[in-house]
Amino acid sequence: MAEPAAQTAFAEEALTHLDTLYRGALRLTHDPDQAQDLVQEAYLRALRYQHSYQTGTNMKAWLFAIMRNLFWDRFKGSRKEDVSLDDVGDFVLYDKLKDEGAKPEADVLDKIAASEVVTAVDKLPPLHREVVLLVDVEGFSYKDAAETLGVPIGTVMSRLHRARQQLQKSLYEYAVESGIVHPGGPTQVSQT
Amino acid sequence: MKCEQCADKLDRYVDRELTNTEALEVQLHLEGCPDCMDHYEFQEHLKRVVKHSCDCDTAPKAFRDKLREILT
Ligand SMILES: [Zn+2]
Ligand SMILES: [Zn+2]
Repeated sequence: MAEPAAQTAFAEEALTHLDTLYRGALRLTHDPDQAQDLVQEAYLRALRYQHSYQTGTNMKAWLFAIMRNLFWDRFKGSRKEDVSLDDVGDFVLYDKLKDEGAKPEADVLDKIAASEVVTAVDKLPPLHREVVLLVDVEGFSYKDAAETLGVPIGTVMSRLHRARQQLQKSLYEYAVESGIVHPGGPTQVSQT
Repeated sequence: MKCEQCADKLDRYVDRELTNTEALEVQLHLEGCPDCMDHYEFQEHLKRVVKHSCDCDTAPKAFRDKLREILT
């Protein structure tokens, strides 16, 4: 056991990454209570395994790895859900918007509510979702994401690529359903 | 650089994962190719939208206080 002062300093530093862990847990569990349980358990475990953390290395990545490993142990019976995403094409949303004459394509993204984007992220299979969380939301490098997830960098890249395709597909479907774009005809992105 | 190669590198370009030399090559291609530039801007925008949409979830203050109590 570390000296109390050292332990407090360690805990304080670890707590500076709380938002990242909580956000990640929330997106993985889809439930605020479960997210809090998961994060609390992760912090307790981090304190217990404090000696295995190497000072000067990426503490955020280390903590996130503890949290997501707990998630997979607890909620998925340790068996990683083996859902693969189909190759749905590289620029699904972009290409469709272009076909439909919705110009500029990027404006459509701004019409989609943040909550719908979160829903689209939540619909990704968990192994793909966590890559998006690390790289897009938390700004991890591929290398840090690979270490956090315990997979090769190539796997991070392929999961990320498929996840982004799938996101575009979901967002396009939402944009059609909600009338932001109208399939089959030149679309005028309505000005609001 | 051909459009195909540019498309292959677009994820890594958007994620700032290319070497300086590779990034420069992509940048030069983008400047001369409106199609790829459009793709790039869209991907970049999508990444930003995903970040900002998920960013706003932060740990509740009561939870933060409780953890600090437990851990320190
Ligand atoms: Zn925007
Ligand atoms: Zn091109």
